[in-house]
Amino acid sequence: MDKLLRNKKAIIFFIAPAFLLFTFVLFIPICQSVWYSLCNYDALTKPEFIGFENYRQLFLNDKTMRIALKNSLFFMVFSCVSQLLMGLLLAALLTNINKGRNFFKNVYYLPCVLSSAALGLLWMFIFSPKLGINQILASWGIQGPLWLMDVRGFINLPMKVIAFVALWQYVGQSMMLYMAQISGIDKSLYEASYIDGATKTQSFVHITLPLIRPMVATAMSLNCIGSLKFFDLIFNMTEAGPNHQTEVLATHLYTQGFKYFKYGYASAIGVVLLILCLVMTFIINKFVKVESYEM
Amino acid sequence: MKKISRKKVNVWQIVIYLFLIILAFIYLAPLLWMLLVSVKDNAEIFTSPFALPHRIQWENYSFAWTAGYLGKATLNSAIVCVTALVLSLVIGSMAAFAIARMRWKFSRLMMTYFLIGMMVPIHCVLIPLFKTFSGIGLYNNLSGLILPYVTFSLPITIYIMEGFFENMPQEIFEAACIDGCNIYKCFSTIAVPLSKTGLFVTGLMSFVANWNELLLAMVFISDDLKKTLPVSLSKFVGPYNTNYVQMFAAIIIAIIPTIVVYCCFSNQIVDGLTAGAVKG
Repeated sequence: MDKLLRNKKAIIFFIAPAFLLFTFVLFIPICQSVWYSLCNYDALTKPEFIGFENYRQLFLNDKTMRIALKNSLFFMVFSCVSQLLMGLLLAALLTNINKGRNFFKNVYYLPCVLSSAALGLLWMFIFSPKLGINQILASWGIQGPLWLMDVRGFINLPMKVIAFVALWQYVGQSMMLYMAQISGIDKSLYEASYIDGATKTQSFVHITLPLIRPMVATAMSLNCIGSLKFFDLIFNMTEAGPNHQTEVLATHLYTQGFKYFKYGYASAIGVVLLILCLVMTFIINKFVKVESYEM
Repeated sequence: MKKISRKKVNVWQIVIYLFLIILAFIYLAPLLWMLLVSVKDNAEIFTSPFALPHRIQWENYSFAWTAGYLGKATLNSAIVCVTALVLSLVIGSMAAFAIARMRWKFSRLMMTYFLIGMMVPIHCVLIPLFKTFSGIGLYNNLSGLILPYVTFSLPITIYIMEGFFENMPQEIFEAACIDGCNIYKCFSTIAVPLSKTGLFVTGLMSFVANWNELLLAMVFISDDLKKTLPVSLSKFVGPYNTNYVQMFAAIIIAIIPTIVVYCCFSNQIVDGLTAGAVKG
């Protein structure tokens, strides 16, 4: 048996396809990306090494990058916090009702499996100047705002609208994760706490919250990475406009790389994005995650 | 005293249900409204957006299906997603088997290598991949989409399948070994059939994710006849294009397959989501 399991040929046979794919489609391109980001490289010329010039441009001279970074960070913080609160609230409510739990659960999770490109088009229509929501408002005699075009303020209205739509679409995922974790908690813990005279709120704060803390870390890092990668909704709702005001890192990368063909510059944005993802995952796992309790 | 507390509970229950129902309305209303609009004509959107249509315009769907190349796009999406699904399941479970059951020095290291893939955003490999793929004729080619789709489905597949293989009792493999099974047979006739649920769940997850993927599909395919569904949709919008009803028909066509899959297998999708997230 042991000989069978140490069969080198079989191990190589089993692992090789995945390993090769991973190396050639993921690992090597990441290295290439880092190299391109240090080069002056557009579609036609050969990459030419220029050191950290791209990064210097990116952080010091690029106004759009500043907007993109601001929007991406706003987006990340907003979706982390809102999804945590909303997801927890929904999970707590749904685990406490008896009838219709599956129905509500499935409805709230539905948008997660739908194409965000398609939903982006739908919401673009709903928030367009003269249709959708503004039609409803107009029938009540209210002049609705230009949802996706009003760019005043530090965090402009279009970004808030998009953040709301993203919450609408993805909160189901956090809710599901928390629900799974909550339903795994031993019921006798709650019974014991009720015997000791605890109220529902108290038992939620002192039993449920500590026990689902590992899942909070997981859900938060999923949200963080997800919101940094965010592209489809923005691309279809505003195309990063008007005047680059709703640009995020991913759309900025796309525009620079595939509209202006500045490969080196776009790669630098990609590297910034990658580093942000890794740093955020690290921070969350370091500070939110604790040893999981025996259950 | 008892009566009062019971009443209080009931009030709370009503408030909770009210909240949940309003929320469910916010979730379903846009989708249902889209369904309604997709069978109207363009003038009606401006005059009576919420009324029932005068006449049901099925032409919107047939127009979107033919003139917008949606028929072709659906076929492309299906080809890409099914191929990527099968490949990622086969390759992923092979790797997971080697990591979970076989004994070799670097198995843990290999697992970490694959799991890092979960954190890498697709964007930062976009440009090098685009460059390489145009060099070797994979640009404007459906295989150029399948390869990265498989790769990005692998981490979650390997992660979930590894859990399944790990939890199988050692005895069945020993018994098979005594009966003269080689390691390949152990994998294909014992391990895989016993983890059907795992395969199904991961398959669903990666199918849904790939079906909805936009960025790669947009960059790697420029030929109208080879585009996948999410990309084809954007053809219905443009600065001077107000062909809303057909756009909605197209959106409905694009999301129907995932809605059907979701309605049939919502529990399995949820299992996959939670299994994939609970990483140690």
